[in-house]
Amino acid sequence: MTKRILIIEDQEDNRAIMRDLLSTAGYALIEAVDGEEGVRLARSERPDLILMDIQLPVLDGYEATRRIRAIADLKSVPIIAVTSYALSGDEAKTREAGCDSYVAKPFSPRELLAKVRALLPSG
Amino acid sequence: MSNAGQLLRWCECQFTRLVGLLGRVRDDAGRAIRAYWQRVRGPKSGQRSRSLFRKYAILLVALVGGSLVISTSIEMYYSYWQSRDALSAVQREKALGAAAVIEQFVKEIENQVGWAAGFLPAGSGIDQRRYDFLRLLRQAQAITEVSYIDPEGREQIKVSRLTMDTAASGADLSQEPKFTQARTNKRYFSPVYFRKESEPYLTLAMAGAARSAGVTVAEVNLKFIWDVISRIQVGKAGVAYVVDDRGLLIAHPDIGVVLRKTDLSGLSHVAFALNRLRDPGIKVPAISRDRTGREVLTAFAPIATLGWLVFVDLPLTEALQPVYAALERSAFVLAAGLLFAALVGVWLARRMVVPIRALATGAARIGGGDLDHRIDIRSRDEVQRLADSFNDMGGRLKESYATLEHKVADRTRELSEALSQLRALIDVSQAINSTLDLQALLEAILAHACRLADAAGGAIYTFEESTEEFNLAAAYGMSQELVEAVRKAHRRLHDDSPLSHCVLKRSAIEITDLASKSAYQMRDSLMRADVRALLAVPLLREDAIVGALMVRRAHAGTFGNSMIDLMQSFASQSALAIQNARLFQEIEDKSRQLETASQHKSQFLANMSHELRTPLNAILGYNELMQDGLYGELPSKTKEVLGRMEKNGKHLLGLINDVLDLSKIEAGQLALSLEKYSMQDIVHTVVSATESLAAAKQLPLNVEIADGMPNGRGDERRLTQVLLNLVGNAIKFTDEGAIRIAARANNGIFAVEVADTGPGIPEAERGRIFEEFHQVDNSNTKKKGGTGLGLAIAKRIIELHRGRIWVESQVGRGSTFHFEVPVRAEQRGGAA
Repeated sequence: MTKRILIIEDQEDNRAIMRDLLSTAGYALIEAVDGEEGVRLARSERPDLILMDIQLPVLDGYEATRRIRAIADLKSVPIIAVTSYALSGDEAKTREAGCDSYVAKPFSPRELLAKVRALLPSG
Repeated sequence: MSNAGQLLRWCECQFTRLVGLLGRVRDDAGRAIRAYWQRVRGPKSGQRSRSLFRKYAILLVALVGGSLVISTSIEMYYSYWQSRDALSAVQREKALGAAAVIEQFVKEIENQVGWAAGFLPAGSGIDQRRYDFLRLLRQAQAITEVSYIDPEGREQIKVSRLTMDTAASGADLSQEPKFTQARTNKRYFSPVYFRKESEPYLTLAMAGAARSAGVTVAEVNLKFIWDVISRIQVGKAGVAYVVDDRGLLIAHPDIGVVLRKTDLSGLSHVAFALNRLRDPGIKVPAISRDRTGREVLTAFAPIATLGWLVFVDLPLTEALQPVYAALERSAFVLAAGLLFAALVGVWLARRMVVPIRALATGAARIGGGDLDHRIDIRSRDEVQRLADSFNDMGGRLKESYATLEHKVADRTRELSEALSQLRALIDVSQAINSTLDLQALLEAILAHACRLADAAGGAIYTFEESTEEFNLAAAYGMSQELVEAVRKAHRRLHDDSPLSHCVLKRSAIEITDLASKSAYQMRDSLMRADVRALLAVPLLREDAIVGALMVRRAHAGTFGNSMIDLMQSFASQSALAIQNARLFQEIEDKSRQLETASQHKSQFLANMSHELRTPLNAILGYNELMQDGLYGELPSKTKEVLGRMEKNGKHLLGLINDVLDLSKIEAGQLALSLEKYSMQDIVHTVVSATESLAAAKQLPLNVEIADGMPNGRGDERRLTQVLLNLVGNAIKFTDEGAIRIAARANNGIFAVEVADTGPGIPEAERGRIFEEFHQVDNSNTKKKGGTGLGLAIAKRIIELHRGRIWVESQVGRGSTFHFEVPVRAEQRGGAA
């Protein structure tokens, strides 16, 4: 079964790169453009993995992660934080919020793909 | 001189008694006086005054007594000698008289016998001689018997009153001394002999004038001499007596003594007198001892014819009786004089000591602080003057004490005022230092100032330079009405008021009576508020007008210089406070601005970073996807171009990251993310990231990792960044040779070094390469590019780990960068 990945990212370019990268790699994608939508889609779609931008409009990545973790079925869904280098050093903060991994922007698509594959072994 | 010695001994004895008596008198008097003193002045102070008293008393007694004793002694001495000489003279007269009588008597007998002897020639008839002899016996009653011895020494006739006359007895008397001596010396006196054991007799023999004449011998009864002697009266117990030339007693009132044939030659005066007959130079003592051993005053006279001596002795006790009487009188007088002297001495001494004592006690009391004490001495002498001086001194002392007390009280008051002023100033300066609330501060200063200035109210004005107006900054004791009046007055710099004047003159202005001031803009308002006097002091700061302090009193009168000085102190404190507050306000404003600017800068950097990164992210992402053939296979030339694009894009990203890192470090916002890490992994990560770069320059990367290095705790990503920077630099600046990377752990410290065989760094540059935006200035580095931020960031990161980083280098041979970090790093609170 095709693994589904929820991309929560406000930048269209970034979403496009991820989309191109991950769909090529065989994943099904759900996209959200802000934190609130991300949480809503996570709840309704139950993705297998979430790529979470931290600097998001409406609801930032930390809060969105916390809310997703509050949903019973989503307690163990892998969440990879994709955060700006400007906020590097906040890796600990993303982990506190409930993220499993961390990718700093600008990310290398290869690196991102490697992390995604590491968290979705069967995919 | 034994007599003088006697007298002196006696005198001494008398004097000793007298002294004893006086001693007792003195002791008694002394006890009485001591008791008196003890009563008068208490037990403790006796010692000194008693000694003074004793000194005076003894001195006076010794003076009076001594002069008495000396005069009496001299008087008695002369009186004694005069008496004795007079007595001696009387006795000698008596002796001489007796001697003369006795000599006359003997001479008469001798003449009568001589006449009888020489009248008849030797051959005259017996009868004729008897007749002559009978006539002789009739004429001379003292002759008891008379006889004639013819020239051949035979007694021819003897006529006696006692026996029968004998005629021509023929007794041979030629060898008798009375015959031989008479024949030789014409005259002979026999020693005295006694008849019937009671009558002294003397044989007188005389030879006739012719050579062949016989010798007439008469036995003479010396009872007449006894009569003469007995008649001599010498005092009561005095006696006259006669001794012959051998010292035998011839005549004495007590005939018994004579009859016992007493030899007096052993008595010293008799012996001396007998010797004097032969040698007139010998002195006979006037005092001797008689045959009974009594001391006597003695005188004598010689009877030249017979070689006898008449002595007149008077017992010394009797002879000196008048002298003794005189002596006793004198002694009595002396004793009385001494007693008197003692009494006078004691009295005088007391007279002298009492005032001195009173003086001493009084002086002690005055000295002890009883300045009201007055010494009461009315001796009208130096002591009284001294006492008066003491009293005067006491009075003056009291006066000066009183003055002093006033002065002390004044000074104390001044001191306490100064102290309270000082306290107020301290309070004020403490307030200035402890609070930044200018309003509260000015009110506190004003309250202190008004309280110390005894002012009913006051105000502090601040001066607004732009409008040249005074604003009421603080008010004290001012009615609401007055405050309003002041606020409405819009007091300006060039008004005619003390406020303006004091500020323009830069000195305090005082109005001692407001009622006397007619033209003063606030006068009526102030008068209504019961203000009568006021003091305005400018608040100046380095001659710039800050404001003014004003205090107001409800009573007229000057504030005084010291109060004005004090108010000026308050004014300068107020000025300081106002200025401090203004400065603080400025600083606060500035720092707020700075904070805002800093926030803007951070925000700007964050935004810029984000804004720069976002397109870069897309560029790099797409580039990578294209290179990976996600969008279809590309010609190799296109791939090469995409590779160059990627490289430059990453370089740009590095630059952006470095700038961002540094700004975060400078803002103190770079915090370490401390986690467990492996130094070995860091080295491997860096090596794998730089391998391709090194390989491109054909530089071998030699890695030396010590075995068994412990896991560390620190910011792995940042440490990786540091090592990556060092290795990247090494590769960048080395064209040939090799790069060596070594890591080991020692004593809880990781030591990492990166050595290259590059151009090396000149010594002058070594310290500076860790500064921001610094690069070794040569063409090579320019060619190599770079921001020059890498080492500065590396240094900060190592220092945040409490480690150190340094470089060793030899120009032309290469450089070795070292860094050390604790195996277990601790968070170093946000500081850069």
